[in-house]
Amino acid sequence: MRSAARYLDPDFLQWFGLFGAALTWVVQLVVGFGITVARCGAANEVLGVDVKPWEITLMGVGIALALLAEAAALSVLWETRNVDYGGPAPEGRRHFFALAASIGNLLFLVIIVLSGTGAIVHEPCMQS
Amino acid sequence: MSALPHSGEARTPAAVARVEQARLARPNGWWGMAIFVATEATLFGTIIGTYFYLRFNNLHWPPPGVPEPKVTLPLVLTGLLVLSSIPVQLAVNAASRGLLTRARVALLLALVVQAGYLGMQIHLFVHDVHEFPPSGSAYSSIYFTMLGAHHLHVFVGVLLSAWILLRTATGLTGYRMNGLRATAFYWHFVNVLALCVLGTQLSPLA
Amino acid sequence: MATTITEPAAQRVERLERIWVEPRGLWGWLTTTDHKRIGLLYFFTTLAFFGAGGIEALLIRTQLAQPNERVLSPETYDQLMTMHGVTMIFLFVIPISTGAFGNYLIPLMIGARDMAFPRMNALSYWLFLASGLFMYASVFMHAAPNAGWFDYVPLALKQYNPGRNIDFYALGLIFNGVSTTAAAINFIVTIFKLRAPGMSMNRMPLFCFAMLAVSLSLIFALPSLTIDLVYLELQRTLGFHFFDVAHGGDPLLWQHLFWLFGHPEVYIIILPAFGIATSIIPTFSKRKMIAFPLVALAELLVAFIGFGVWAHHMFATGLPTITLVFFAAASMMVVIPSTIQVFAWTVTVALGRPEFKTPLLFIGGFIVFFVLGGLSGIMFAAIPFDQATTDTYFVVAHFHFIIFGAAVFPILGGMYYWFPKVTGRLYNEGLAKLSFWLTFVGTAVTFFPMHILGLLGMTRRVYTYPSSLGWSAYNLSETIGAFILTAGLLLIFGNLAYSRFRGAPAGRDPFFGGTLEWATSSPPPPYNFPVIPTVRSAYPNWDAEDREADVRRLERGELVLDEGHETPASTVVDAVPDEVLEMPAESPWPLAVAVCTGLLFIMLLTQHYAVAGVFAGLALLCVAGWHAKEPVET
Repeated sequence: MRSAARYLDPDFLQWFGLFGAALTWVVQLVVGFGITVARCGAANEVLGVDVKPWEITLMGVGIALALLAEAAALSVLWETRNVDYGGPAPEGRRHFFALAASIGNLLFLVIIVLSGTGAIVHEPCMQS
Repeated sequence: MSALPHSGEARTPAAVARVEQARLARPNGWWGMAIFVATEATLFGTIIGTYFYLRFNNLHWPPPGVPEPKVTLPLVLTGLLVLSSIPVQLAVNAASRGLLTRARVALLLALVVQAGYLGMQIHLFVHDVHEFPPSGSAYSSIYFTMLGAHHLHVFVGVLLSAWILLRTATGLTGYRMNGLRATAFYWHFVNVLALCVLGTQLSPLA
Repeated sequence: MATTITEPAAQRVERLERIWVEPRGLWGWLTTTDHKRIGLLYFFTTLAFFGAGGIEALLIRTQLAQPNERVLSPETYDQLMTMHGVTMIFLFVIPISTGAFGNYLIPLMIGARDMAFPRMNALSYWLFLASGLFMYASVFMHAAPNAGWFDYVPLALKQYNPGRNIDFYALGLIFNGVSTTAAAINFIVTIFKLRAPGMSMNRMPLFCFAMLAVSLSLIFALPSLTIDLVYLELQRTLGFHFFDVAHGGDPLLWQHLFWLFGHPEVYIIILPAFGIATSIIPTFSKRKMIAFPLVALAELLVAFIGFGVWAHHMFATGLPTITLVFFAAASMMVVIPSTIQVFAWTVTVALGRPEFKTPLLFIGGFIVFFVLGGLSGIMFAAIPFDQATTDTYFVVAHFHFIIFGAAVFPILGGMYYWFPKVTGRLYNEGLAKLSFWLTFVGTAVTFFPMHILGLLGMTRRVYTYPSSLGWSAYNLSETIGAFILTAGLLLIFGNLAYSRFRGAPAGRDPFFGGTLEWATSSPPPPYNFPVIPTVRSAYPNWDAEDREADVRRLERGELVLDEGHETPASTVVDAVPDEVLEMPAESPWPLAVAVCTGLLFIMLLTQHYAVAGVFAGLALLCVAGWHAKEPVET
């Protein structure tokens, strides 16, 4: 029970809410981009990369983590709903970060979905 | 607020131990090193990224005529280097409790291992340069750039450790404690980096 | 604080003066570690480079004013247009925003007495000056970089560019990057650790959020440029193979690494402007910034997302669509944080009681150019549109609206805004307003027609064009605009120079600003604040009670820290006071390290590697000398 409580600690939720979706997008970008370079490079004869399963997985995991981060941000926002964002730490600071995080996560969610969709629907290695 | 510790005025191991006990946040010197490490980690990220980018663009990797990477010696050397993080951290823990001699012995032990690693790696590097020079292919170009960059970072670490050992010969102060903390963080980074570089170096065998 | 001061308080202030004052004269400036003096050194040096870049621009515009001109040879034109870009980006706009504005203002805004690493701060400046002189030596040797500011391979490789031009570029920018990295580390640690008690992150000024975003971006972006330049030099001088296909390399590798740096770089250019805008708007609207947390978020978000859009500079290189979509997606979304900011700025002005003094006029101009430049920017996120307009003057129009209209306007407005704080005098408001309108009209006339020229097909970097394409009238009007713009800029600097000596006294806080730099005298004393302020909101200078409490604490000797060169350090997130730091005083070592490093780079350029090693060793010895005496011992 103690380890579960650690994940419900308000500061952990605040930081996860702030960075979770952002870092997930970074992973989707780096790995997703890398997969396309591997698939369309000369070494694919040897590597035999299959783009779609990779990109679907990345997008799925990305969406899940981004939603979790948003949930974390919203829970901190709710807990500190009666606090002013300029107020004293730690509540004021938590409210401030949660406000920022709750908007930011939506943005990352959209980028993850757009990127993943694009990587899945287009024919690999066709040029624009 | 007037009871705030003046860390710069700690000039004995006991005083340093008191300052370390009382502090809430890591010292500025540690943070400076941490951010410097972030930039160097990014540098190696781009180097390793380059390695795989070039790998994906080449059917034969290594190219014909270039030997496959050796496994045993690099693995053993890297293992020893990574283990040197233990005496380095022990040195920090001892110094922060005011145990200066213990700290210096641990740091010296680590330094011997690290310097030995560097010497062996330079020897291997020179041998490899004659066998498959960087001007031969993209593989050898990125191979030697990556290893050379890492060895340079180990060399800088050796200089940092040597400097701390020199300065603490005349005692421990708050300033030197912060220097030791920063040096230790740098070594942990270099050692994790060694694992990443080794993994990349051996990846053609996968 | 112009009220009568008690005897104990006066004694404390006098002690602080004695401890913090630096020597006058040349030696004082060469060994300074005072962030305000270093800020001024950066300011005047970057303005000199601005002048150089401006002359380069006027020469370019003169050459392009009419078709088939031969004012400049093609070779000279290539060097001029490359150096114009390199100078304006690396030697003007980044160092003036970070080195001048950032250095001078950050410690003042957070209630600290100096930056976290005062000697490294000085080192950043001397390295910057040396790198600028290094690069400009190439101009005097008629061997200036000539392959454009992004220096694509294979044009930059030895077989197509055998002279020293590109080596000056590569080594000069690596050199410049060391300076900038050191500055970024300093800013981050200062903002994290040196904030006044009570200034938790939610109460930090928006200017500091912007500078934090800039510094973090520099930390993660510069390595990509550095390694790219290292690969280039290794290929040029030692025959390595990174960029040639025949030996397994790829010319696109240069582009990927360059733009992985280059795109964050353009957000690095614009973010300080956001910071200056978010400082000027609340002051002259007489209210807090609307949606403060969202503006802070937007500043950090635009920097972060900016790392994931780099290949939108490569949409026309033939990369597969599945690769490009990642960058198209992020490029479309990166506009959202900027939109949030534009709404926050305009609504804050609308809901306040705006006073349209010159700084606010420049911010108005900034918003106009930023919106228009942003609109042309978002158009490039659409791959098909980008493929039609890449390498045309449409791109040149976009980035000049953003870099000049949106990044430089707040710098000019900021010069007027903080001029009273730095000099203790007021500038002439009437002349200032005229200078704004001249600059605004000049900017619009110079850069707007470039959109049309781009759509008509005029390509970038051409040294001339035929008369039959219908481009002539637009080019001529752009050149006229450039001279109007120059007149505006000369009027700005003339006004400031004149007012420096003849302006009316400004007092502590002529504009009723909300941040802490306005809580101390104009100019600030060497120790910034006689007592470290405690902070309970994001606009502490508007909290009159707290500022009066400061005076009482000065009398009681609480947080005056007058026993040495002292400033407090606090915890990173919540600014709980943690320890008192002893800061270093003046030191000759930063200058010594910079000189050795300059000599090192000259030897690398001339390929005397053994001698280069000697200078590297000397630089290390100087670093040892630097750390040999602890600040407490000086």
